[in-house]
Amino acid sequence: MPDGSFSHPQQRSFNPYTENGGTILAIAGADFTVIAGDTRQSEGYSIQTRYAPKVFRLTDRAVLAVNGFAADGNMFVKKVKQRLEWYRHAHAKDMPLRAIARLIQTMLYAQRFFPYYVYNILGGIEEDGTGAVYSFDPVGSYEREACRAAGAAQSLVQPFLDNQIYFKNQQAAPGQSHPLHLPLSDVLSIVIDSFTSATERHIEVGDGLEMYVVLAKGRSAQGLEGGRGVQELTTRTDGDRVFVIRRELKKD
Amino acid sequence: MSIMEYNGGSVIAMVGKDCVAIASDLRLGVQSLSISSNFQKIFPVTDRIYVGLPGLASDVTTLHEQFRYRVNMYTIKEEREIEPQTFAQMVSSTLYERRFGPYFIEPVIAGMQRTPSGSYEPFIAATDLIGCLNFAKDFVVAGTASSELFGAAEGLWEPDLEAEDLFETISQTLLNAVDRDTFSGWGAVVHVMTKDKVITRTLKGRMD
Amino acid sequence: MECSFAITGKGYVIVAADTTAAHSIIKVKLDEDKIKTLSPHLLMAYSGEPGDTVQFAEYIERNIRLYQIRNTYPLRPSSAASWIRRALADSLRSRKPYSVNLLLGGYDTSTYTPHLYWIDYLGTLTEVPFGAHGYGSYFALSLLDRYHDPEASLEEGLATLKRCIDEVSKRLLVAPGRYKVKVVDKDGVREVEI
Repeated sequence: MPDGSFSHPQQRSFNPYTENGGTILAIAGADFTVIAGDTRQSEGYSIQTRYAPKVFRLTDRAVLAVNGFAADGNMFVKKVKQRLEWYRHAHAKDMPLRAIARLIQTMLYAQRFFPYYVYNILGGIEEDGTGAVYSFDPVGSYEREACRAAGAAQSLVQPFLDNQIYFKNQQAAPGQSHPLHLPLSDVLSIVIDSFTSATERHIEVGDGLEMYVVLAKGRSAQGLEGGRGVQELTTRTDGDRVFVIRRELKKD
Repeated sequence: MSIMEYNGGSVIAMVGKDCVAIASDLRLGVQSLSISSNFQKIFPVTDRIYVGLPGLASDVTTLHEQFRYRVNMYTIKEEREIEPQTFAQMVSSTLYERRFGPYFIEPVIAGMQRTPSGSYEPFIAATDLIGCLNFAKDFVVAGTASSELFGAAEGLWEPDLEAEDLFETISQTLLNAVDRDTFSGWGAVVHVMTKDKVITRTLKGRMD
Repeated sequence: MECSFAITGKGYVIVAADTTAAHSIIKVKLDEDKIKTLSPHLLMAYSGEPGDTVQFAEYIERNIRLYQIRNTYPLRPSSAASWIRRALADSLRSRKPYSVNLLLGGYDTSTYTPHLYWIDYLGTLTEVPFGAHGYGSYFALSLLDRYHDPEASLEEGLATLKRCIDEVSKRLLVAPGRYKVKVVDKDGVREVEI
């Protein structure tokens, strides 16, 4: 009380977290991976910015998407990049994807009792040249998968992906089986459809779409190079390659 | 504990070319415990109208009985069958009558509406639990898997699907949506209606 | 704690309910019959709030009897289930709702088929091949998913019911001691020992 007495119970609170909306998604192919996210950043019903990237190139073979509390996300990416740089100085090479995945789990679990309020999806190329997606919860539980959606529109997108990527609830034609991996053009179409759908039905998803494509070493970049809104981000030649494709999402 | 999620269950309706479809899961649960795998939530109203009633299971039965009574009274007084559009308004007013102590149901209506020229056109509608009508042109969803249904339907649905293609679309939408919802599933039922007939199919899905 | 089970089989329904009457942690009676015979081919196991249960069950019992006196014939199981459900659904939105859960087992003498209805205090009604109320349901339903056979003979049905009761006795901390078991089939209602 103002008189300094303790006769009345008092309570104070400070909530260090918020949710900033948006959705991320990654799909692994046989020798490529697509990691995508929208660029809207919101808090409640207000849009803070229409361009806040949630997907980041870590190395020529690894891309990280972060979704949830944007401040935590940005800080986390910054720290992961720092650890990867230290690794380069120590070992004169980029950290392999599966090692980055384990690093992320360790970094997340280190904050077990004051977590980064962030869902991570790591995509890229493994050392054996296969496409890979790793998904994490905020405290570091992780799993390698073929596809994963996270964020505000996870519940909208994931059933669609189950159907189109894993062919769930679909029966293969007699004598045939479902493909384990889809071609890049199909995957890109599914990613664009997913975000178009999420934009249509979810208010926190929209504005811009960034799709990172990581190609395994030696795979042709046919149909990617010189495409509309495509930019290459690879730093070294004769290795895995990273591209980003930027699109506008529907305005209404 | 939300009353709308107490028993679980979901319904979806879609428009096609000269046809409509309505589908639901078959689960009845008490929170996480499943009681029945054959709890119908979709009911025929006339030969050309179906209504889906996801929400509190007690109110599913109560409202079904209420609608049956009101439709029978309408048929006797008017000496004709009720039209989908009219029935939708009836659903809306029945729910709004209980504005401050609502039935915990979000109805979905699907039917073939008679046009002045004598032909039939597809009709779908949905309301919230107090009767606010939504006349969508493409599809409507309701129930515990509504967000999953919205996402799957938005990705799979396209305009002017023929009856058989509409059946496949609504079935895939429903099955994949309820598989990502713990409160829905345990089998499904689909009705596809054209101007002269209704095809009802019970689907086999994941039972977990 | 209170447990009740019911299963259908070839031409019969078995209904079982524990026989304890409890006041908080005290068992005050060990041979309470919680299965009412509503009509010659209809059984109702009831459980829930003490006081509400008997009051509601007797109200149902007397009204079902009244119907039979007025119309010579008793209500068929499906009609009785609908009427009882409506009584609970109306009660739910009244000033003091009844907290009573029911299992209604009957033999339809017009179609020669057994029927079992699962009803809870909210007025939820669904026809089931087998059903249960109380903590025992968490054990019994899993067992019945595995062992229930709609074509089973009465002996097989009673053996399946015994598995449920034994499992509950073994694994449920607050398991009741004794059960009363009744059967309804084409010959009417009778009590059986297990």
